[in-house]
Amino acid sequence: MTLLLVCLFGGVGCVVRYAVEYAVRRHHPTRRPWATVAANAAGCGVAGYAAYRLVGTADVRLHDVVLTGFCGGLTTFSSAFAIPAILQREHHWGYSLTLIVTTPLLCGGLFALGMSLAH
Amino acid sequence: MSANITLKPRQFVMVLSSAAAGGIVGTFLRDELVKLDHIPSATSALATWPNQIPWPLLIINFVGVYLATRLLRGPLRQHDPNNLTRVLVITGFFGGLTSYSGLFVDLASIWHLSVWGSILVALGAIVSGVVGGWLGLVVPRR
Repeated sequence: MTLLLVCLFGGVGCVVRYAVEYAVRRHHPTRRPWATVAANAAGCGVAGYAAYRLVGTADVRLHDVVLTGFCGGLTTFSSAFAIPAILQREHHWGYSLTLIVTTPLLCGGLFALGMSLAH
Repeated sequence: MSANITLKPRQFVMVLSSAAAGGIVGTFLRDELVKLDHIPSATSALATWPNQIPWPLLIINFVGVYLATRLLRGPLRQHDPNNLTRVLVITGFFGGLTSYSGLFVDLASIWHLSVWGSILVALGAIVSGVVGGWLGLVVPRR
């Protein structure tokens, strides 16, 4: 049952990430994946909050559903590095490097902020 | 490449369903693969920062970047970002399979044991992502 919920919430996380990307692309047609960066940062912020709140909790199911499922689906490591690689191949070196550097910094910052808010 | 910027409601539901389906399968695979490696609790007396390194997730993320880059440079190159196949595979499956938040949860566990160990693993993860993307561009070169 837990595995089913983890998978379902992983799907929900992916849907939310796509919806954010779609909404941004619709209003700002661009190939720059800033919506993916935002989804990654938001997902890490939620993960930081949930990781602190749910550490040592007896409810392992809630821990797995939120962290492995929803936050895992909301964030993506593959697009965070595949898109910069392609941008670099298309000679957009500046954007590529900016994405590679800013994504982990924003994710780390939001994760720490989430933890401090939960504290 | 002409991007299909605005979708009709029915198309939008179809694309969301694709993202969900891919995400469910990718999350299932990640969850099962991560469970293969038993990492001792960070509060255990046996815990040291090297045995807290999340090798399965690091490998999953590396392989995910490599395959996603290959697909985006190859078969899915001409597909717009709202294409059903691209959303199913890239946004859904590889998005669910790989995880940035899971990496930071594991880095937080290492941080409690060694700040430098945590920074080292974070840098290793970033380098593995860059190398995975580069390999996806150049291997195999057609």
